[in-house]
Amino acid sequence: MTENNIVIHIEGLTKLYGKQRGVLDIDLDIARGEVFGYLGPNGVGKTTTIRTLLHFLFPTRGRATIFGLDIAQHSLETRRRIGYLPGELETYNNLTGSELLEFMSHLRGGVDWQYVRELAGRFDYDLDMKIKSLSHGNRQKVGLIQAFMNKPELLILDEPTIGLDPLMQQEFYRIVDEIKSEGRTVFLSSHIMPEVERVCDRVGIIREGRLIAVEDVDVLKARAIRRLEIHFESPVSPEEFSNISGVRDVEVHENRLTCTVAGEIDTLIKAAAQHHVTNVISHEPSMEEIFLTYYNREGDNVS
Amino acid sequence: MFRNIVLKTLYDRRRSLLFWCIGFILMGAILLAFFPVIRDAPFISEYLESFPEEFLALFAGEVTDYTSPEGYLNGELFFLMYPLLLLVFAVGFGSGAIAGEEEKGTLDLLLSNPLNRWRVVLEKYIGMIICTLILIIVFWATLAIGGAIIDMGLNLARLAAVCFSGFLLAIAFGSVALTIGCARGKTGVAMGVGGALGVYAYMLNALAPLIGWLEPFQVASPFYYYIEANPLSNGLDPVHAGVLIGLSIVFLVIAIVTFERRDLAV
Repeated sequence: MTENNIVIHIEGLTKLYGKQRGVLDIDLDIARGEVFGYLGPNGVGKTTTIRTLLHFLFPTRGRATIFGLDIAQHSLETRRRIGYLPGELETYNNLTGSELLEFMSHLRGGVDWQYVRELAGRFDYDLDMKIKSLSHGNRQKVGLIQAFMNKPELLILDEPTIGLDPLMQQEFYRIVDEIKSEGRTVFLSSHIMPEVERVCDRVGIIREGRLIAVEDVDVLKARAIRRLEIHFESPVSPEEFSNISGVRDVEVHENRLTCTVAGEIDTLIKAAAQHHVTNVISHEPSMEEIFLTYYNREGDNVS
Repeated sequence: MFRNIVLKTLYDRRRSLLFWCIGFILMGAILLAFFPVIRDAPFISEYLESFPEEFLALFAGEVTDYTSPEGYLNGELFFLMYPLLLLVFAVGFGSGAIAGEEEKGTLDLLLSNPLNRWRVVLEKYIGMIICTLILIIVFWATLAIGGAIIDMGLNLARLAAVCFSGFLLAIAFGSVALTIGCARGKTGVAMGVGGALGVYAYMLNALAPLIGWLEPFQVASPFYYYIEANPLSNGLDPVHAGVLIGLSIVFLVIAIVTFERRDLAV
């Protein structure tokens, strides 16, 4: 990453609340054109980090720049260039979608309504409905539209897909892909691993207020532990599978095999394909399992 | 309608303001409807004189000539009812201006736009001023028209003076509520403290003339600057009006400074 290629630069950022946990000593650089995923369970400091970047919270220690501008001194200029979706979005319930977007656009000095209508169409969102009468998912859509509509250089999205149905999540991923292809930058938080895998280039994993790892998604995928369940037409023997590298916890009940796989699943699948396979069930790793991967690794380094 | 925060604030308040206006129109109309009865019944004054001075002072101020239009309106309306109701309106407005959005969780969305925090406070403040002005203009018009119908012979400029004096008082307490809301982010606290201060200030002004040791403190009550100079008979006292305006400005500045310097709640 070269100096002028960095969009977000966070340095020793710490935010402590009275008794609540905040975030501790976050160091992070995000490059132009990158889609960065900020991954962690709820309540570990993702929203705190994001709200500090928008200057809603003032850091206890440390600093951050966006587009090379100090967030405290140039908050107005940075916010002008950011599209933001708040976590647990609340909008003005007494307005319709188009009224809300009109208000937001005036505060930013205008918007391309053609593009707003295109976004509304893609999200299958009715601009004329009062926000009060919308479902949670539809409210989330208007939040996304207002974040996207100004085509900002940087998008900061706090749990963007919460409440969206799977079809709309796919549409959201496509839009993020487009934004990336235009060279714009996306910083999004999530507590769902598959989502981050699908859409991000790099991932920062946050736990109890600390950024414990920053990895390329490919690396993370390779290291991820997956629980697999394979059903065969006839019984199989566990020995066939337990020697495959990365495969652990092999258990066989009659014609049903369960195991965990770290990284590549290719060898296992090919071994299974020697038999007549009736079903394959893959359980995506939970956040806890991903953390365990990292803790195990740290443990390995020590021993 | 959504060009800026001022206009959106007016839009948000339009229904509430409409009902407040209807309430004030009814209040004015009812009071005026009773006046001909009072005017033609001189014994009312004698009856009132039989009350203890303290009792009257608490609810109607210094009652002088209750059967004159000015005496009647001051005693029945401008001493207690009008300023307190207006105060409730402005305190409700001021306390929710920032804290309301913060509690509802809409402040994040609003401030994600390139807006200075002081500008948001100021635009909401202007919204409060406009709404309160609309309310007092409607009330003034009600009294002016109603007074003409029953031949009260009111001086409309003086009537405007007392209405406006009440507006300045209400804005001062609205500013206090705004400041508490900006500092603490809690509408309920702002409304409670703002309202309680209003009631104390009222009682201080009403009772101070009767209680020896309290008398020097009367000038500490904003109500003193609202009504003591009797704007309905004498017009607006520039010094007294200036005190109320100064109070509002001081609290607006404190509101902005505290709001600029604190973390926003989610």
